Amino acid sequence: MTAARPKAGASGFDQFFSSRAPEGLRVKTGIVELDEMLRGGFMPGDAVMLAGSAGSGKTTLGLQYLVNGVKQGEPGIYVTFEELPDQIYRDAKNFGWDLRKMEEEGNFRVICTSPSLMLESGDGSLLDDVLKEVQPRRLVIDSLSHLEMFVKKDDMRMEAYRIVSYLKTRGISSILLWESPQISGGSYSVTDVGLSFLVDCIVALKPVEIESAMRKALVILKMRGSDHDKRLREFEITPTGVKIESAFTNYEGIISGSPRKIASEKFMDLFRGASEKRK
Amino acid sequence: MSGSEILSTLLGSEVRGDLLVLFHRNPGLIDTVDGVARRIGRTTVAIISEVRELLVLGVLRQKRIGASEVVFLDRAKDRELLESVANHLKTIRIGEER
Repeated sequence: MTAARPKAGASGFDQFFSSRAPEGLRVKTGIVELDEMLRGGFMPGDAVMLAGSAGSGKTTLGLQYLVNGVKQGEPGIYVTFEELPDQIYRDAKNFGWDLRKMEEEGNFRVICTSPSLMLESGDGSLLDDVLKEVQPRRLVIDSLSHLEMFVKKDDMRMEAYRIVSYLKTRGISSILLWESPQISGGSYSVTDVGLSFLVDCIVALKPVEIESAMRKALVILKMRGSDHDKRLREFEITPTGVKIESAFTNYEGIISGSPRKIASEKFMDLFRGASEKRK
Repeated sequence: MSGSEILSTLLGSEVRGDLLVLFHRNPGLIDTVDGVARRIGRTTVAIISEVRELLVLGVLRQKRIGASEVVFLDRAKDRELLESVANHLKTIRIGEER
């Protein structure tokens, strides 16, 4: 169930109230296991940070969130700062998502612009027109870290706060992608500019090396106002999008970058090894 | 403007063709002329007059964001112009068949 959409040309006042989802409803990602981890989905109107290193699956997950939203009757907008964004249409098609068709149907928009213009539009005019036209319930910015190139480190928080506030006052449930610097290693930080406190939820994607193979881990680090699954879950990018697998129950130290089997698993390995030798 | 005039304007130069391909592939593109030039691997000087032609035709529109002037595709006008071109091409084909 979604809130009634305001009529075209409705005042900001009307849009503000009509875009709010009734309390208690969640914004489902459409990925069953992830919605379970979120105890039903994201909270309506929340700003979610999706952090991960390059190639970790952020764009795929962000697009899947929007595509699934359109299927549930919730229009979406994808904002990108890529130089040649037409690749996004091609990559989405590989997952079976026809973004151009969704745009023709009026439920979706890909907005491609420069980070400097996003920062320059102090009154929000860059997105105002498309927000009025599409009336989105969901929006993804890919990625907030692009803005870092155009602002001083100290101003980054202020600019991020401005963007988050702009989206929240319009009742839009947003996912802000953030490229984390660490690919592997002992230390792990979501952002190096202190943005974690600005957002309501943080989902982190981390590549991990286990037994000489690269695997992908997803964890919910923070979720205001709701319980959530605290476990690290493995995920894969399949031909139909992101699929969440089971938790890494047999390993510890994954976030620290030094995964190792837990003691009971080591014991079982020894037992199996000894049993094999006797045969 | 007739279908043939629209077609001549749209494809009047290689740069104009590049611009149309860019905006058709990325209909949500909103950028300055500098930014658009960079995206098609050309200089601002090389494209500015072509962008003006497309603004006059109406397929591109302009607006101010902060201190910058940006251009973007007018999807409705673009559809209208393409329909006129398609009708014009159909007319030519029918004429040739006769």
